[in-house]
Amino acid sequence: MEISVGSNLDRIVILAYFALVMGFGAYFGKYSKTTSDYFFGGRRFSWWLITISIVATGIGSHSFVKYSTKAYEYGFSSTMTYMNDWFFMPLFLFGWLPIIYYTRVRSIPEYFERRFNPMARSLATLMILLYMIGYIAIQFLTLATALYRIYQIPLMLTVIIIAIVTTIYMHIGGQTSVIFTDLFQGIILIFSGVFLFILGLQYLGDHSSLVGIQAFWDNLTPVQKLPLAHFNRPPDFNFVGIFWQDGIAGSVGFLFLNQGLIMRFMAAKSVNEGRKAAAVNVLLILPIAALVVSNAGWIGRAISNLVPNAIPAGMDPNDVFVTVTNLVASPGIFGFIIAALCAALMSTADTLVNASSAIIVNDIYQPLTKNKHNDKRQLDIARISSIAVKILAVILVPFFNSFDSIYEAHGWFHSTFTPPLVVAVFLGIFWKRFTTPAVIATFIGGAFLMVLGQFIPDLVRPIAHGIELRPGRGYSYIGALYNLIVCAGVGVIVSVFTKPESSEKIQGLTIFDVNLLKKIFKGSNPNNRPGEKVSVRWELIPGDQDKIHFSEKEMSLMSAEEGDLVYLSDSRKWLGGLKSVHSVYGKAHNEEGIVYLTSTHLERGLFTANKTLMAEKEM
Amino acid sequence: MIDFNQSWLPFIYLYGVGGIFFAIGVRLIVKTNALNLSIHRHRIWLKLLFFGFGFYMLLHLILILLALGSK
Repeated sequence: MEISVGSNLDRIVILAYFALVMGFGAYFGKYSKTTSDYFFGGRRFSWWLITISIVATGIGSHSFVKYSTKAYEYGFSSTMTYMNDWFFMPLFLFGWLPIIYYTRVRSIPEYFERRFNPMARSLATLMILLYMIGYIAIQFLTLATALYRIYQIPLMLTVIIIAIVTTIYMHIGGQTSVIFTDLFQGIILIFSGVFLFILGLQYLGDHSSLVGIQAFWDNLTPVQKLPLAHFNRPPDFNFVGIFWQDGIAGSVGFLFLNQGLIMRFMAAKSVNEGRKAAAVNVLLILPIAALVVSNAGWIGRAISNLVPNAIPAGMDPNDVFVTVTNLVASPGIFGFIIAALCAALMSTADTLVNASSAIIVNDIYQPLTKNKHNDKRQLDIARISSIAVKILAVILVPFFNSFDSIYEAHGWFHSTFTPPLVVAVFLGIFWKRFTTPAVIATFIGGAFLMVLGQFIPDLVRPIAHGIELRPGRGYSYIGALYNLIVCAGVGVIVSVFTKPESSEKIQGLTIFDVNLLKKIFKGSNPNNRPGEKVSVRWELIPGDQDKIHFSEKEMSLMSAEEGDLVYLSDSRKWLGGLKSVHSVYGKAHNEEGIVYLTSTHLERGLFTANKTLMAEKEM
Repeated sequence: MIDFNQSWLPFIYLYGVGGIFFAIGVRLIVKTNALNLSIHRHRIWLKLLFFGFGFYMLLHLILILLALGSK
């Protein structure tokens, strides 16, 4: 059933939002001066800024459509995938995060070259790029599907318009723009999702939220209130399949392999700030995000139970988000909430596009070029490749549109591309014995066995946990368990029969060396003595040596010594580290309250005259 | 009547199998000294890791009990 929704006011609100985001992104573009700034934001931001920008990255436009659909069909169990990510946090926070931060790898494929060899890097590059470009295509398709109902512009034209809009602010600003627009959009996303829930409760309670809560609860069945789905039924939405596909493969894929997310953590001012950002995100923000993306479906189900004809009987469940929003929100408000859907799309797409261009520059251009240190050239390549990535994504949209639903397209996509990468990175980090031939075999042999499993479902049956096989469609979610087992099996068997890597080659690249990483990063023994933060005024000295000079008293307060690493930032905390710089302690002087720095520090740190700075020892 | 496969089995499987992955992770980071228990900040992190596991388990437990107790 085709649904046409929205008023002219809604259309204006959505257009205004697009314009606002473009302006916002363009403004913060001025803070990108080098490729490090463009891709990683200069390793300077506070945890809270990273946390909120991760929200906007984690919630894609497909999330609203996909989870609202499942929430409408099955109730609270739509939240499963948002509340099963904690199991891998120990390994992420204290294993992978310090490795990627301190070894200064610029991309996941680069890790594969350092840990294994260039061929492993090439295979990883290919798989990760395919994964990310496909992901962007799904984002474009989802938003275009929603906007098509509102503007009635042909689907593919809508896709192209969205691609152009996101290109404009990304092209100018890179990662700093991405982080700040995502900060803005993350707030909008959460606010509008919660707002939609309140509007839904008021609709159910006849303008009273308190009555609405009672009506909401009373009009869902006990099964719809359960937070976890039935163990193995039905085949298209069951607990055990989704646990292996999302809770295990998906969580590792998201935390360990999502280049966009990794780049966010590398933009944090320190590993500890990255840990805080990740922990707050999973512990606090994800449960809220589950409510934000699912509530339209729950409200829709409660409304259809309470007022049978309020929601069209023949409505496609994929349309429940737009239909419920249109029903409970007044004109203008509806446009604002759809603008939040745009926020979700743009913030996820911009992160993935930025990450893809980082991989193209670092893993394709850099290894091939002789001119490795031309920063301007690399920035140009990054900008051109971000456009190319979007063109490829637009071309892929009709392919994903051929699936029965966006949920199915997304599921196919995850189960096909994630398992070999998950196994390769996981064994690489946590098993020293994992060898280079084994990682190549995991990619190639594992992929072959995965394809075999698609064509011969009997291979999956023994581990299907009693899930029914759908004729012609195979085992959807539990297939991830089969894929993980065959990839890990190939990797382990080949490792056992091949020569292990030398300890020198893999130093600092596995969890077993994490305690050495600070020393590798600094180049000498880290100074772990606890010290205080100090407030100082800056003055310029000539030269461009990367050293900052404090007074002896301040050095003593910070427990710092010459040669230690220092982090210097504008003392206004709300800037979140936007104006800051990392450097090295130089020789101390006797002028208390003064720090001497060079014009290069001033330019990189974006420091303003007459503003005090806060300094702290990094290590 | 909600059967066991719908109510408690998913919960037991989630925190049983997931708990194995979590326990292996904690054991590995402590054993390799990636989480160094002699550092005060790391001891707080270890507590937070267990708190997170307990938080989600409790949240799911409460939601299941509320659902089973409702009409």
